[in-house]
Amino acid sequence: MIEIKNINKSYTGKRALKDVSLRLPQGEIIGLFGENGAGKTTLMKCILGFLPYSGEITLDGSPITRKNIARLSFATSEHSFFPNLAPKGHKEFYAEHFPRFSEKRFKGLMDFFELPMNKTLRNFSTGQKNQFEVILSLCQGADYILMDEPFAGNDVFNREDFYKVLLGILEPRETVMLSTHLIEEVSGFIGRAVLIRQGKIIGDVSMMELEESGHNLMSFIKDTYHYRADRVSRALDELTGRDE
Amino acid sequence: MKLDLTHHAPLGINLQREQRFFTTGIICSIFYSLIFLPRYQQAHSMLYHWKGDKCVLIPGAIIEDFGVLLENALVGFLILALCMLALIIYHYAYHYQGSKSIYLMKRLPNRWEMHRRCITLPLLAALICLIAAIAFLLIYFGIYMVFTPKECLTLGQWQKIWSVLL
Repeated sequence: MIEIKNINKSYTGKRALKDVSLRLPQGEIIGLFGENGAGKTTLMKCILGFLPYSGEITLDGSPITRKNIARLSFATSEHSFFPNLAPKGHKEFYAEHFPRFSEKRFKGLMDFFELPMNKTLRNFSTGQKNQFEVILSLCQGADYILMDEPFAGNDVFNREDFYKVLLGILEPRETVMLSTHLIEEVSGFIGRAVLIRQGKIIGDVSMMELEESGHNLMSFIKDTYHYRADRVSRALDELTGRDE
Repeated sequence: MKLDLTHHAPLGINLQREQRFFTTGIICSIFYSLIFLPRYQQAHSMLYHWKGDKCVLIPGAIIEDFGVLLENALVGFLILALCMLALIIYHYAYHYQGSKSIYLMKRLPNRWEMHRRCITLPLLAALICLIAAIAFLLIYFGIYMVFTPKECLTLGQWQKIWSVLL
């Protein structure tokens, strides 16, 4: 289990994370939601040790270091692959450095998405790049797969395919933390939703609890965010001067 | 057997371009260092004068110090070595170009992998520059000592080199 205790993170005086505490048990698919700048990416980067922070993050009771970092993988919309290298080169590199790298899964996913093995990544389309980024994170052999808006730029059919494949291939030990704005799309696929706003966790609910209470994910998020449904119509009225 | 250097460089980097740059640099440094030879030849000829049809040593003539003749002949190797150190910075910066492959390298169980790939080849190249510079220094010093008449040399030539180099 990844345990996050009272994490605080500031960027030049501005607090990006405020006393964030969270538990990520194995075998869950967790959606991490929040507006731009809410702290989703910062939280993931703190978990991975990319950013310094105050507080404590542990993996099965131990701090996350190079000894256990291979149990975590990361797919990001910024892409963490080498654009001048082909998938074949990435496969060899991952197999060399991550002992649990799954060649079988890699080949299966590459075939499924019909990605070329010997073409350099820089010549891939944005959608293909995103697919490949996610494929690498799924094949590393990690127990915790952190995905930061991995499907930005992919078409809806593509994403749909991916959710299905993901549900089909994940093993019980694998946890996925998925940060995305595509709330409705992932609502049928995640088991838990975590909401973050201005660096604070403001909601953490299991989808089962939501269902039992008769809510759906979107309404839960809107309620938690105190979303004003009349916001748009009022703004349009003001802009067009309809009241006058 | 061809040595595969790609395992010692950042993944996907254009190694051929770097090899070309280094090879060109080392060739230019060698050619530039050759300026020692005409300088020496001129200093050597000033030790003699013509008596009739015979070229004879001028009594009491002293050749210029080796360090003075060498001057900056080896500076090309130094510049190239400094370029290789700059290449290390480029190798690190490469992990931020076109993507954030730095995220992958930071997640590797082997913490030294990225440093190894960024540093090894530039350091090796800088070492080659140093060795080449020393080799040419010794060759030129050898030429100076062998072809200069003993009575025209001043003492402590080897020690004097360092005052020029440092």
